[in-house]
Amino acid sequence: MSTTTAQAIQIYQVFIRATPEAIWEAITKPEFTEKYFYGARIENTPQGHRALGPDGSVWGDSPTFEFDPPRRLVHGWQSLYDSDLAEEEPSRVSWEIEPQDGGYCKLTVTHDQLEGSPKTAESVSGAGWMMVLSGLKTLLETGQPLAD
Amino acid sequence: MTDDDRVFRALADPTRRHLLDRLFARDGRTLTELESELEMTRFGVMKHLRLLEDAGLVVTQRSGREKLHYLNPVPIRLIHDRWIDKYTEHRVSALAELKSELEETA
Repeated sequence: MSTTTAQAIQIYQVFIRATPEAIWEAITKPEFTEKYFYGARIENTPQGHRALGPDGSVWGDSPTFEFDPPRRLVHGWQSLYDSDLAEEEPSRVSWEIEPQDGGYCKLTVTHDQLEGSPKTAESVSGAGWMMVLSGLKTLLETGQPLAD
Repeated sequence: MTDDDRVFRALADPTRRHLLDRLFARDGRTLTELESELEMTRFGVMKHLRLLEDAGLVVTQRSGREKLHYLNPVPIRLIHDRWIDKYTEHRVSALAELKSELEETA
């Protein structure tokens, strides 16, 4: 996906051996996100999506569109961590948690409405979301952050 | 069959790797679009897509009457973390040890 034409809709999916509640906590609370989301402290509430970088700078500050624990979270996205990307149009990120057999949940992350932000699309594709989701899975299943 | 087994099995076929490459170049494609690039029956392509979907490498989404296919690279990343990192890390640390040993004796 990290070709010259990064997609306006990107879908990432991972199976995680954890409860929907544990996954919900891990994606909405800063003490969890800093362990797998490039060190960012992210807080998702019904009021909004706010992300701070490890140095305390604002990485994201967007509205929340849906907040339905522990099933579905939809929020805006603007890559404020990079001045080039920050100038682009806002896009949208949806998290969907679906319980499966055997103590697993299917987590689907859809990053869409990227038509007006090609550089952001390029930057989050490839390793971007993939690293976040593999790190989240490792954290929830082993209690340890993914080694660098 | 574990998740890893499904991914390795899905990747062990040239047609399925070709489908993944097509989706890597541009995803959100319909079966008809994917089928037009392959010398294979619609049923055959459907069967391959089904296996890729079971392995989690392809995710589908409905858009009106159409079913769109998206590449999901996460399982490949997990295979990488599990199988590639483990061995290359060892090799890198062996080289690092060799380097420090040689530099100490020099």
